[in-house]
Amino acid sequence: MIETLQWTTLAVCGLIAAARIPSALRGENRSLFGIFALMTLAILLSIQEPYLIIDRALGGTNIANLLLRFVIFGAIFFLGVRVSKGFGADAAYRLITGRTGMAVLLAVSVVLVAVFLAMDTTGSSAGLSAVSGKDDRHYALVEYYGAAGRAYPAFVALALLPAMVRAVQDRLPVLVRIAAGLLALGGVAVTLSLLFPVIPSELGAAEFVINYTAVLCYVVGLALIWAARVQSRRASTARKTSTEM
Amino acid sequence: MTLTAKAFQRWLQGIAPDASTADICRVSGIKRTTLAQQLVRGKISVGTVVSISRAYNLNPVTALAGFDAYSVLAGPPQAPTSSELVSQISTADLLRAVLARPAMDPSGRKGAPPFVLSPAPHATSVKNWVDAIDDGEVRHRVSAATGVAPQNYSAQLTANRLSPELAVATALAAGVAPASGLVATGVITEEEAGWPPDARQAALDSMSDGELTTLAGDRLQALGKTLRRQEQDQAQTEKIWENLG
Repeated sequence: MIETLQWTTLAVCGLIAAARIPSALRGENRSLFGIFALMTLAILLSIQEPYLIIDRALGGTNIANLLLRFVIFGAIFFLGVRVSKGFGADAAYRLITGRTGMAVLLAVSVVLVAVFLAMDTTGSSAGLSAVSGKDDRHYALVEYYGAAGRAYPAFVALALLPAMVRAVQDRLPVLVRIAAGLLALGGVAVTLSLLFPVIPSELGAAEFVINYTAVLCYVVGLALIWAARVQSRRASTARKTSTEM
Repeated sequence: MTLTAKAFQRWLQGIAPDASTADICRVSGIKRTTLAQQLVRGKISVGTVVSISRAYNLNPVTALAGFDAYSVLAGPPQAPTSSELVSQISTADLLRAVLARPAMDPSGRKGAPPFVLSPAPHATSVKNWVDAIDDGEVRHRVSAATGVAPQNYSAQLTANRLSPELAVATALAAGVAPASGLVATGVITEEEAGWPPDARQAALDSMSDGELTTLAGDRLQALGKTLRRQEQDQAQTEKIWENLG
Protein backbone atom coordinates (compact mmCIF):
# COMPACT_ATOMS: atom_id res chain seq x y z
CA MET A 1 0.00 0.00 0.00
CA ILE A 2 2.85 2.36 0.88
CA GLU A 3 4.59 1.54 -2.38
CA THR A 4 1.44 2.35 -4.35
CA LEU A 5 1.12 5.65 -2.52
CA GLN A 6 4.75 6.51 -3.26
CA TRP A 7 4.66 5.70 -6.95
CA THR A 8 1.26 7.37 -7.41
CA THR A 9 2.55 10.54 -5.79
CA LEU A 10 5.63 10.42 -8.02
CA ALA A 11 3.47 9.97 -11.11
CA VAL A 12 1.08 12.81 -10.20
CA CYS A 13 3.91 15.19 -9.40
CA GLY A 14 5.93 14.22 -12.46
CA LEU A 15 2.94 14.66 -14.77
CA ILE A 16 2.17 18.13 -13.40
CA ALA A 17 5.84 19.14 -13.71
CA ALA A 18 5.85 17.92 -17.31
CA ALA A 19 2.59 19.74 -18.01
CA ARG A 20 4.18 22.97 -16.82
CA ILE A 21 7.12 22.71 -19.23
CA PRO A 22 5.39 24.61 -22.08
CA SER A 23 4.43 27.54 -19.86
CA ALA A 24 7.88 27.52 -18.27
CA LEU A 25 9.38 27.76 -21.77
CA ARG A 26 7.09 30.74 -22.44
CA GLY A 27 8.52 32.31 -19.29
CA GLU A 28 5.36 32.16 -17.16
CA ASN A 29 6.08 31.57 -13.48
CA ARG A 30 9.20 29.50 -14.00
CA SER A 31 9.66 29.04 -10.26
CA LEU A 32 6.36 27.15 -10.19
CA PHE A 33 7.82 24.64 -12.64
CA GLY A 34 10.88 24.59 -10.38
CA ILE A 35 8.73 23.73 -7.36
CA PHE A 36 7.09 20.82 -9.18
CA ALA A 37 10.41 19.60 -10.59
CA LEU A 38 12.11 19.74 -7.17
CA MET A 39 9.17 17.94 -5.58
CA THR A 40 9.31 15.22 -8.22
CA LEU A 41 13.02 14.79 -7.56
CA ALA A 42 12.38 14.69 -3.81
CA ILE A 43 9.75 11.96 -4.17
CA LEU A 44 12.04 10.01 -6.48
CA LEU A 45 14.80 10.16 -3.86
CA SER A 46 12.50 9.04 -1.09
CA ILE A 47 11.49 5.79 -2.80
CA GLN A 48 13.70 2.79 -2.03
CA GLU A 49 14.67 1.57 -5.52
CA PRO A 50 15.54 4.85 -7.23
CA TYR A 51 17.26 6.02 -4.05
CA LEU A 52 19.60 3.02 -4.03
CA ILE A 53 20.44 3.44 -7.73
CA ILE A 54 21.17 7.15 -7.39
CA ASP A 55 23.06 6.89 -4.13
CA ARG A 56 25.27 4.05 -5.40
CA ALA A 57 26.09 6.17 -8.42
CA LEU A 58 27.09 8.98 -6.05
CA GLY A 59 29.47 6.72 -4.09
CA GLY A 60 27.20 4.82 -1.74
CA THR A 61 27.68 7.14 1.25
CA ASN A 62 24.03 8.21 1.51
CA ILE A 63 24.93 11.65 0.22
CA ALA A 64 21.71 11.33 -1.79
CA ASN A 65 19.79 11.58 1.48
CA LEU A 66 21.47 14.88 2.29
CA LEU A 67 20.73 16.00 -1.25
CA LEU A 68 17.08 15.00 -0.71
CA ARG A 69 16.86 17.23 2.37
CA PHE A 70 18.15 20.27 0.50
CA VAL A 71 15.90 19.56 -2.49
CA ILE A 72 12.95 19.61 -0.06
CA PHE A 73 14.20 22.85 1.52
CA GLY A 74 14.49 24.43 -1.93
CA ALA A 75 11.00 23.32 -2.98
CA ILE A 76 9.37 24.45 0.25
CA PHE A 77 11.20 27.80 0.20
CA PHE A 78 10.02 28.67 -3.32
CA LEU A 79 6.57 27.36 -2.50
CA GLY A 80 6.45 29.59 0.57
CA VAL A 81 7.56 32.63 -1.42
CA ARG A 82 5.07 32.07 -4.26
CA VAL A 83 2.11 31.20 -2.08
CA SER A 84 2.62 34.03 0.40
CA LYS A 85 3.02 36.54 -2.44
CA GLY A 86 0.04 35.19 -4.35
CA PHE A 87 -2.31 35.18 -1.38
CA GLY A 88 -1.08 38.57 -0.20
CA ALA A 89 0.21 37.11 3.08
CA ASP A 90 2.77 39.83 3.71
CA ALA A 91 3.58 38.69 7.24
CA ALA A 92 4.29 35.14 6.06
CA TYR A 93 6.38 36.48 3.16
CA ARG A 94 8.49 38.59 5.52
CA LEU A 95 8.85 35.70 7.94
CA ILE A 96 10.04 33.29 5.24
CA THR A 97 12.32 35.62 3.25
CA GLY A 98 13.35 37.91 6.09
CA ARG A 99 16.11 37.58 8.65
CA THR A 100 14.17 35.05 10.76
CA GLY A 101 13.55 32.74 7.83
CA MET A 102 17.13 32.90 6.66
CA ALA A 103 18.42 32.29 10.19
CA VAL A 104 16.17 29.24 10.58
CA LEU A 105 17.25 27.89 7.19
CA LEU A 106 20.94 28.44 7.98
CA ALA A 107 20.74 26.91 11.47
CA VAL A 108 18.83 23.88 10.24
CA SER A 109 21.26 23.39 7.35
CA VAL A 110 24.30 23.61 9.63
CA VAL A 111 22.82 21.09 12.07
CA LEU A 112 21.84 18.80 9.21
CA VAL A 113 25.31 18.78 7.62
CA ALA A 114 27.09 18.52 10.98
CA VAL A 115 25.02 15.53 12.10
CA PHE A 116 25.46 13.91 8.70
CA LEU A 117 29.24 14.27 8.91
CA ALA A 118 29.23 12.93 12.48
CA MET A 119 27.75 9.65 11.26
CA ASP A 120 29.40 6.77 9.51
CA THR A 121 27.10 6.81 6.50
CA THR A 122 28.66 4.18 4.27
CA GLY A 123 26.23 1.72 2.75
CA SER A 124 23.30 3.09 0.76
CA SER A 125 20.02 2.71 2.61
CA ALA A 126 16.79 4.59 2.06
CA GLY A 127 15.73 6.58 5.11
CA LEU A 128 19.16 5.81 6.63
CA SER A 129 17.61 2.77 8.32
CA ALA A 130 20.80 0.72 8.06
CA VAL A 131 22.83 3.60 9.50
CA SER A 132 20.36 3.95 12.36
CA GLY A 133 20.73 0.27 13.18
CA LYS A 134 24.53 0.41 13.60
CA ASP A 135 24.54 1.34 17.32
CA ASP A 136 22.77 3.52 19.88
CA ARG A 137 24.78 6.60 18.99
CA HIS A 138 23.90 6.29 15.33
CA TYR A 139 20.28 5.65 16.23
CA ALA A 140 20.13 8.97 18.14
CA LEU A 141 22.02 10.85 15.42
CA VAL A 142 19.63 9.68 12.71
CA GLU A 143 16.71 10.85 14.86
CA TYR A 144 18.30 14.34 15.20
CA TYR A 145 19.06 14.37 11.51
CA GLY A 146 15.46 13.56 10.67
CA ALA A 147 14.14 16.16 13.09
CA ALA A 148 16.36 18.84 11.57
CA GLY A 149 15.19 17.86 8.11
CA ARG A 150 11.54 18.25 9.10
CA ALA A 151 12.03 21.49 11.05
CA TYR A 152 12.39 23.87 8.09
CA PRO A 153 9.39 22.60 6.08
CA ALA A 154 7.33 22.80 9.27
CA PHE A 155 8.48 26.39 9.81
CA VAL A 156 7.36 27.44 6.33
CA ALA A 157 4.12 25.45 6.57
CA LEU A 158 3.22 27.10 9.88
CA ALA A 159 4.02 30.55 8.48
CA LEU A 160 1.60 29.96 5.59
CA LEU A 161 -1.16 28.28 7.59
CA PRO A 162 -3.05 31.39 8.87
CA ALA A 163 -3.20 32.93 5.39
CA MET A 164 -4.49 29.68 3.91
CA VAL A 165 -7.22 29.34 6.52
CA ARG A 166 -8.24 32.95 5.79
CA ALA A 167 -8.25 32.34 2.03
CA VAL A 168 -10.63 29.39 2.42
CA GLN A 169 -13.21 31.76 3.92
CA ASP A 170 -12.51 34.60 1.47
CA ARG A 171 -14.59 35.63 -1.54
CA LEU A 172 -12.34 33.90 -4.07
CA PRO A 173 -13.13 31.52 -6.93
CA VAL A 174 -14.26 28.15 -5.55
CA LEU A 175 -11.32 26.24 -7.03
CA VAL A 176 -8.87 28.66 -5.41
CA ARG A 177 -10.60 28.22 -2.06
CA ILE A 178 -10.43 24.44 -2.36
CA ALA A 179 -6.74 24.83 -3.28
CA ALA A 180 -6.14 26.99 -0.21
CA GLY A 181 -7.83 24.29 1.88
CA LEU A 182 -5.52 21.65 0.41
CA LEU A 183 -2.46 23.83 1.06
CA ALA A 184 -3.65 24.30 4.64
CA LEU A 185 -4.15 20.55 5.03
CA GLY A 186 -0.66 19.96 3.61
CA GLY A 187 0.70 22.45 6.12
CA VAL A 188 -0.99 20.62 8.98
CA ALA A 189 0.47 17.33 7.77
CA VAL A 190 3.97 18.81 7.54
CA THR A 191 3.62 20.19 11.06
CA LEU A 192 2.38 16.83 12.32
CA SER A 193 5.57 15.29 10.95
CA LEU A 194 7.39 17.05 13.81
CA LEU A 195 5.70 14.53 16.10
CA PHE A 196 7.32 11.53 14.37
CA PRO A 197 9.81 10.84 17.20
CA VAL A 198 6.92 10.20 19.60
CA ILE A 199 4.94 8.01 17.20
CA PRO A 200 5.37 4.36 18.29
CA SER A 201 7.19 2.24 15.74
CA GLU A 202 4.14 -0.01 15.21
CA LEU A 203 2.47 3.01 13.61
CA GLY A 204 5.36 3.52 11.21
CA ALA A 205 2.95 3.46 8.26
CA ALA A 206 1.30 6.61 9.67
CA GLU A 207 4.53 8.50 9.00
CA PHE A 208 4.43 7.55 5.34
CA VAL A 209 0.78 8.48 5.05
CA ILE A 210 1.37 11.88 6.68
CA ASN A 211 4.40 12.61 4.47
CA TYR A 212 2.69 11.71 1.23
CA THR A 213 -0.55 13.42 2.23
CA ALA A 214 1.46 16.60 2.69
CA VAL A 215 3.15 16.30 -0.70
CA LEU A 216 -0.07 15.38 -2.51
CA CYS A 217 -1.99 18.23 -0.87
CA TYR A 218 0.64 20.77 -1.88
CA VAL A 219 1.01 19.49 -5.43
CA VAL A 220 -2.71 19.10 -6.11
CA GLY A 221 -3.44 22.45 -4.39
CA LEU A 222 -0.98 24.28 -6.64
CA ALA A 223 -2.26 22.45 -9.70
CA LEU A 224 -5.84 23.45 -8.84
CA ILE A 225 -4.92 27.13 -8.75
CA TRP A 226 -3.40 26.71 -12.16
CA ALA A 227 -6.54 24.92 -13.36
CA ALA A 228 -8.68 27.73 -11.93
CA ARG A 229 -6.70 30.26 -13.93
CA VAL A 230 -7.06 28.30 -17.14
CA GLN A 231 -10.79 27.99 -16.47
CA SER A 232 -11.22 31.71 -15.80
CA ARG A 233 -9.31 32.58 -18.97
CA ARG A 234 -11.61 30.34 -20.98
CA ALA A 235 -14.66 31.90 -19.36
CA SER A 236 -13.46 35.42 -20.11
CA THR A 237 -12.64 34.69 -23.75
CA ALA A 238 -16.05 33.04 -24.15
CA ARG A 239 -17.66 36.15 -22.69
CA LYS A 240 -15.72 38.40 -25.05
CA THR A 241 -16.73 36.45 -28.14
CA SER A 242 -20.36 36.35 -27.08
CA THR A 243 -20.49 40.13 -26.57
CA GLU A 244 -18.80 40.72 -29.89
CA MET A 245 -21.51 38.82 -31.72
CA MET B 1 -41.22 26.57 1.72
CA THR B 2 -42.13 24.35 -1.16
CA LEU B 3 -45.67 23.19 -1.84
CA THR B 4 -46.69 19.57 -1.41
CA ALA B 5 -47.25 17.50 -4.52
CA LYS B 6 -50.64 16.41 -3.21
CA ALA B 7 -51.96 19.95 -2.80
CA PHE B 8 -50.48 20.83 -6.19
CA GLN B 9 -52.23 17.94 -7.95
CA ARG B 10 -55.51 18.94 -6.33
CA TRP B 11 -55.04 22.53 -7.49
CA LEU B 12 -54.16 21.37 -10.98
CA GLN B 13 -57.34 19.24 -11.07
CA GLY B 14 -59.29 22.38 -10.31
CA ILE B 15 -57.83 24.57 -13.08
CA ALA B 16 -57.13 22.05 -15.84
CA PRO B 17 -58.93 18.79 -15.10
CA ASP B 18 -58.18 17.14 -18.45
CA ALA B 19 -54.66 18.36 -19.09
CA SER B 20 -51.78 15.89 -18.98
CA THR B 21 -48.43 16.75 -17.43
CA ALA B 22 -47.05 17.17 -20.94
CA ASP B 23 -49.81 19.65 -21.82
CA ILE B 24 -49.15 21.64 -18.67
CA CYS B 25 -45.45 21.83 -19.44
CA ARG B 26 -46.09 22.90 -23.01
CA VAL B 27 -48.42 25.78 -22.19
CA SER B 28 -46.48 26.98 -19.15
CA GLY B 29 -42.99 26.62 -20.62
CA ILE B 30 -41.74 24.50 -17.71
CA LYS B 31 -39.22 21.82 -18.61
CA ARG B 32 -40.79 18.37 -18.32
CA THR B 33 -37.83 17.00 -16.40
CA THR B 34 -38.05 19.86 -13.91
CA LEU B 35 -41.71 19.27 -13.16
CA ALA B 36 -41.26 15.48 -13.06
CA GLN B 37 -38.45 15.88 -10.55
CA GLN B 38 -40.50 18.21 -8.37
CA LEU B 39 -43.43 15.77 -8.44
CA VAL B 40 -41.21 12.80 -7.55
CA ARG B 41 -39.67 14.65 -4.64
CA GLY B 42 -43.08 15.84 -3.54
CA LYS B 43 -41.90 19.46 -3.43
CA ILE B 44 -43.32 21.87 -5.96
CA SER B 45 -41.58 25.20 -6.32
CA VAL B 46 -43.47 28.49 -6.12
CA GLY B 47 -42.14 29.37 -9.57
CA THR B 48 -43.91 26.34 -11.05
CA VAL B 49 -47.29 27.40 -9.68
CA VAL B 50 -46.72 30.97 -10.88
CA SER B 51 -45.83 29.84 -14.43
CA ILE B 52 -48.83 27.52 -14.66
CA SER B 53 -51.18 30.20 -13.28
CA ARG B 54 -49.99 32.66 -15.91
CA ALA B 55 -50.45 30.08 -18.65
CA TYR B 56 -54.10 29.58 -17.57
CA ASN B 57 -54.73 33.32 -17.13
CA LEU B 58 -55.05 33.07 -13.36
CA ASN B 59 -53.61 35.52 -10.90
CA PRO B 60 -50.54 33.80 -9.37
CA VAL B 61 -51.11 35.47 -6.00
CA THR B 62 -54.64 34.06 -5.79
CA ALA B 63 -53.33 30.66 -6.89
CA LEU B 64 -50.58 30.66 -4.24
CA ALA B 65 -53.07 31.78 -1.59
CA GLY B 66 -54.84 28.44 -2.11
CA PHE B 67 -51.87 26.59 -0.65
CA ASP B 68 -51.54 26.30 3.12
CA ALA B 69 -48.04 27.75 3.26
CA TYR B 70 -49.13 30.89 1.44
CA SER B 71 -52.64 31.37 2.79
CA VAL B 72 -51.61 34.82 4.07
CA LEU B 73 -51.74 35.98 0.46
CA ALA B 74 -55.52 35.50 0.43
CA GLY B 75 -57.94 38.40 0.51
CA PRO B 76 -58.01 41.73 -1.30
CA PRO B 77 -54.53 43.03 -2.22
CA GLN B 78 -53.02 45.30 0.41
CA ALA B 79 -51.48 48.50 -0.95
CA PRO B 80 -47.69 48.78 -0.83
CA THR B 81 -46.15 51.60 1.19
CA SER B 82 -44.56 54.54 -0.54
CA SER B 83 -41.02 53.57 0.51
CA GLU B 84 -41.59 50.03 -0.76
CA LEU B 85 -42.63 51.44 -4.13
CA VAL B 86 -39.55 53.64 -4.32
CA SER B 87 -37.33 50.72 -3.29
CA GLN B 88 -38.43 48.95 -6.47
CA ILE B 89 -37.07 51.74 -8.68
CA SER B 90 -33.61 50.93 -10.01
CA THR B 91 -30.63 53.06 -8.99
CA ALA B 92 -30.13 54.19 -12.58
CA ASP B 93 -33.76 55.37 -12.77
CA LEU B 94 -33.44 57.18 -9.42
CA LEU B 95 -30.37 59.03 -10.67
CA ARG B 96 -32.16 59.90 -13.88
CA ALA B 97 -35.07 61.19 -11.80
CA VAL B 98 -32.70 63.38 -9.79
CA LEU B 99 -31.32 64.90 -12.97
CA ALA B 100 -34.83 65.49 -14.28
CA ARG B 101 -35.70 67.64 -11.25
CA PRO B 102 -35.63 71.39 -12.04
CA ALA B 103 -33.68 71.96 -8.80
CA MET B 104 -30.70 70.17 -10.32
CA ASP B 105 -30.48 72.62 -13.20
CA PRO B 106 -28.68 75.87 -12.24
CA SER B 107 -30.84 77.86 -14.67
CA GLY B 108 -33.95 76.51 -12.90
CA ARG B 109 -35.51 75.25 -16.08
CA LYS B 110 -37.01 71.79 -16.50
CA GLY B 111 -34.14 69.25 -16.59
CA ALA B 112 -33.92 66.08 -18.60
CA PRO B 113 -37.00 64.85 -20.49
CA PRO B 114 -39.38 62.47 -18.71
CA PHE B 115 -38.78 58.75 -19.04
CA VAL B 116 -40.50 55.47 -18.24
CA LEU B 117 -39.31 53.54 -15.17
CA SER B 118 -37.89 50.12 -15.94
CA PRO B 119 -40.03 47.36 -14.39
CA ALA B 120 -39.24 45.77 -11.00
CA PRO B 121 -37.19 43.88 -9.90
CA HIS B 122 -33.79 45.53 -10.34
CA ALA B 123 -30.22 44.56 -9.43
CA THR B 124 -30.54 45.41 -5.73
CA SER B 125 -34.31 45.26 -5.36
CA VAL B 126 -34.38 42.63 -2.59
CA LYS B 127 -31.91 44.43 -0.36
CA ASN B 128 -33.54 47.81 -1.01
CA TRP B 129 -36.99 46.41 -0.25
CA VAL B 130 -35.91 44.94 3.11
CA ASP B 131 -34.13 48.20 3.96
CA ALA B 132 -37.29 50.11 3.10
CA ILE B 133 -39.49 48.12 5.48
CA ASP B 134 -36.92 47.44 8.21
CA ASP B 135 -37.55 49.11 11.55
CA GLY B 136 -34.22 47.77 12.77
CA GLU B 137 -35.58 44.54 14.20
CA VAL B 138 -37.14 42.87 11.16
CA ARG B 139 -34.17 40.60 10.51
CA HIS B 140 -34.31 39.27 14.07
CA ARG B 141 -38.04 38.69 13.90
CA VAL B 142 -37.76 36.84 10.56
CA SER B 143 -34.97 34.72 11.93
CA ALA B 144 -36.99 33.91 15.05
CA ALA B 145 -40.11 33.11 13.04
CA THR B 146 -38.47 30.93 10.38
CA GLY B 147 -35.42 29.53 12.17
CA VAL B 148 -33.11 30.80 9.41
CA ALA B 149 -29.79 31.98 10.84
CA PRO B 150 -29.31 35.78 10.58
CA GLN B 151 -26.04 35.39 8.68
CA ASN B 152 -27.68 33.14 6.08
CA TYR B 153 -30.47 35.69 5.72
CA SER B 154 -27.98 38.52 5.25
CA ALA B 155 -26.01 36.46 2.73
CA GLN B 156 -29.18 36.01 0.66
CA LEU B 157 -29.87 39.75 0.75
CA THR B 158 -26.32 40.58 -0.31
CA ALA B 159 -26.74 38.27 -3.27
CA ASN B 160 -30.09 40.02 -4.01
CA ARG B 161 -31.92 36.74 -3.41
CA LEU B 162 -34.62 35.67 -1.00
CA SER B 163 -36.63 32.47 -1.10
CA PRO B 164 -40.40 33.06 -1.56
CA GLU B 165 -40.97 31.70 1.94
CA LEU B 166 -38.54 34.19 3.49
CA ALA B 167 -39.88 37.03 1.34
CA VAL B 168 -43.39 36.47 2.67
CA ALA B 169 -42.12 35.97 6.23
CA THR B 170 -40.19 39.25 5.98
CA ALA B 171 -43.29 41.13 4.78
CA LEU B 172 -45.32 39.69 7.67
CA ALA B 173 -42.62 40.54 10.20
CA ALA B 174 -42.59 44.12 8.93
CA GLY B 175 -46.37 44.36 8.74
CA VAL B 176 -46.52 45.15 5.03
CA ALA B 177 -48.40 43.46 2.17
CA PRO B 178 -47.08 39.87 1.85
CA ALA B 179 -47.16 40.03 -1.97
CA SER B 180 -44.60 42.89 -1.98
CA GLY B 181 -41.81 40.46 -1.11
CA LEU B 182 -42.68 38.36 -4.12
CA VAL B 183 -42.49 41.46 -6.34
CA ALA B 184 -39.10 42.47 -4.96
CA THR B 185 -37.75 38.96 -5.53
CA GLY B 186 -39.14 38.89 -9.06
CA VAL B 187 -41.50 35.96 -8.49
CA ILE B 188 -44.54 37.98 -9.56
CA THR B 189 -45.02 41.30 -11.35
CA GLU B 190 -46.24 44.55 -9.81
CA GLU B 191 -49.48 44.19 -11.71
CA GLU B 192 -50.05 40.66 -10.37
CA ALA B 193 -49.51 41.96 -6.83
CA GLY B 194 -52.25 44.54 -7.44
CA TRP B 195 -50.00 47.58 -7.59
CA PRO B 196 -51.56 50.38 -9.70
CA PRO B 197 -49.63 50.83 -12.98
CA ASP B 198 -48.13 54.21 -12.09
CA ALA B 199 -47.78 53.63 -8.34
CA ARG B 200 -43.99 53.73 -8.38
CA GLN B 201 -43.91 56.85 -10.53
CA ALA B 202 -46.40 58.55 -8.20
CA ALA B 203 -44.33 57.61 -5.13
CA LEU B 204 -41.26 58.98 -6.86
CA ASP B 205 -43.00 62.23 -7.80
CA SER B 206 -44.19 62.70 -4.22
CA MET B 207 -40.61 62.77 -2.94
CA SER B 208 -39.10 66.18 -2.31
CA ASP B 209 -35.87 67.14 -4.08
CA GLY B 210 -33.99 66.66 -0.80
CA GLU B 211 -35.46 63.21 -0.08
CA LEU B 212 -34.85 61.98 -3.60
CA THR B 213 -31.29 63.28 -3.74
CA THR B 214 -30.43 61.78 -0.35
CA LEU B 215 -31.89 58.40 -1.33
CA ALA B 216 -30.08 58.43 -4.66
CA GLY B 217 -26.89 59.32 -2.80
CA ASP B 218 -27.35 56.39 -0.41
CA ARG B 219 -27.93 54.04 -3.31
CA LEU B 220 -24.89 55.37 -5.13
CA GLN B 221 -22.77 54.90 -2.05
CA ALA B 222 -23.94 51.29 -1.59
CA LEU B 223 -23.29 50.63 -5.28
CA GLY B 224 -19.82 52.13 -4.96
CA LYS B 225 -19.08 49.87 -2.00
CA THR B 226 -20.20 46.77 -3.89
CA LEU B 227 -18.17 47.72 -6.96
CA ARG B 228 -15.08 48.44 -4.91
CA ARG B 229 -15.38 45.12 -3.13
CA GLN B 230 -15.70 43.35 -6.46
CA GLU B 231 -12.63 45.20 -7.73
CA GLN B 232 -10.66 44.23 -4.63
CA ASP B 233 -11.68 40.58 -4.99
CA GLN B 234 -10.70 40.73 -8.63
CA ALA B 235 -7.33 42.28 -7.80
CA GLN B 236 -6.69 39.59 -5.18
CA THR B 237 -7.55 36.85 -7.64
CA GLU B 238 -5.31 38.45 -10.29
CA LYS B 239 -2.45 38.43 -7.81
CA ILE B 240 -2.94 34.73 -7.19
CA TRP B 241 -2.97 34.02 -10.92
CA GLU B 242 0.14 36.13 -11.41
CA ASN B 243 2.10 34.26 -8.76
CA LEU B 244 0.66 30.78 -8.88
CA GLY B 245 -1.17 30.43 -12.20
